[in-house]
Amino acid sequence: MGSLSSEDDHARFRSVVLPHLAQAYTLARWLTGDRADAEDVVQEACLRAFRGIGGFSGVNARAWVLTIVRHAAYTWLGKNRSGSLLMVDDLEAVERKQAGAGALSEQAPETPEAALIAKADAARLEAAIADLPMPFRETLVLRDVQGLDYREIAEVTSVPIGTVMSRLARARHRLIARLGTEGPRDAS
Amino acid sequence: MTVSTTDPRLLVHAYVDGELDPAHALEMERQFASDPALAAERDRVEALRRAIREQLPREAAPAGLARRIETSLGRQREDARMPSHPSWLALAASVVLAVFLASGATWFVLRPDSANTSADMIVASHVRALMAPQPFDVASSDRHTVKPWFSGRITEAPRVVDLADQGFPLVGGRVDVIGRAPVATLVYRHRQHLISLSAVPGGQTIAATPKEIAGYNILSWSENGTVYNAVSDLAAPDLETFAKAFRAASAER
Repeated sequence: MGSLSSEDDHARFRSVVLPHLAQAYTLARWLTGDRADAEDVVQEACLRAFRGIGGFSGVNARAWVLTIVRHAAYTWLGKNRSGSLLMVDDLEAVERKQAGAGALSEQAPETPEAALIAKADAARLEAAIADLPMPFRETLVLRDVQGLDYREIAEVTSVPIGTVMSRLARARHRLIARLGTEGPRDAS
Repeated sequence: MTVSTTDPRLLVHAYVDGELDPAHALEMERQFASDPALAAERDRVEALRRAIREQLPREAAPAGLARRIETSLGRQREDARMPSHPSWLALAASVVLAVFLASGATWFVLRPDSANTSADMIVASHVRALMAPQPFDVASSDRHTVKPWFSGRITEAPRVVDLADQGFPLVGGRVDVIGRAPVATLVYRHRQHLISLSAVPGGQTIAATPKEIAGYNILSWSENGTVYNAVSDLAAPDLETFAKAFRAASAER
């Protein structure tokens, strides 16, 4: 437990964690909604990852790093924005309500043209994604912005693959409904 | 549209994301051809994915973030090296603690790990099989075809039982490599879900109750010195039903 193992840990940290720094930062930014806050979260997550580097199984570094970032972001949100934590705590209730009441109405009349959705600009997309409830937002960001597969998302958000699928579907339905109804002239 | 257990509205997303196995992807394509509303849904999801990809490109981490992190980790190390109040007592205590942690931690890390590793490998084989063009090397619902196929490839052919009546038709078999040993794996189907059942002679029971790994459920049991590991994205209770059916059927023979 001398400086040697510490050197090893540093080398391991550099090869396991640092390659995924951009993705860590992206996830933190979408979860906190703020660049400076995202840096704080990533710094804290890296500290946790460094301390826990011995426990890394060596299978999927990206999923491991993003899992830690997500936990750090939730801790940070709980400390600094208890309002959004309420929503986080409530995530399963949100989803149950969606599943119970919204299953039909959510997919029924909103059938905008695909071309209209394809025309959405960056600002509208950003705003629409930022307004998604946390469980939907993180699932969508991990898949459509960060390119993780379902299995990895299930690992990072610690839910079964079926839940990943339904959250992703609901997140996309909300975005499609919003982008399809707001006309492009609605600048905000 | 016939209603199946899995909502085609959900499967559209799995299709667009390339998460369906080839058989189900083909089935979805058939449905798109016959159901314009479903095809329009696919177009909307694809348009959304394209818009996100084009409008929200991947961002780099802010300049200097990596350096700032390394610096803060370096400071941690300095702090750890130079305790502010070194004393014999604290030093002795820390040695005792370190020895305790080292012994305890090693045991803690190694014991569950060996079981975990084979569980991970079994789940990984299942996932790899799902990604392959075919989740099996021999396709047959006839156990009299599947069992002899193994005989030529593996020292101990597995027990193959027909569970079609119980809702788990046999679809084929393959050879997985777990650790360094070839292992016979049977593939059963339940509605749209595939179940990989690997038979490891003299193996250890990994998950006596259903355990979730990477979104898949794994359940193992032992019969006559052979450990059976069932992996699937089926819900845990369904996987237990499958295990019960398999054990009951093999007990009859």
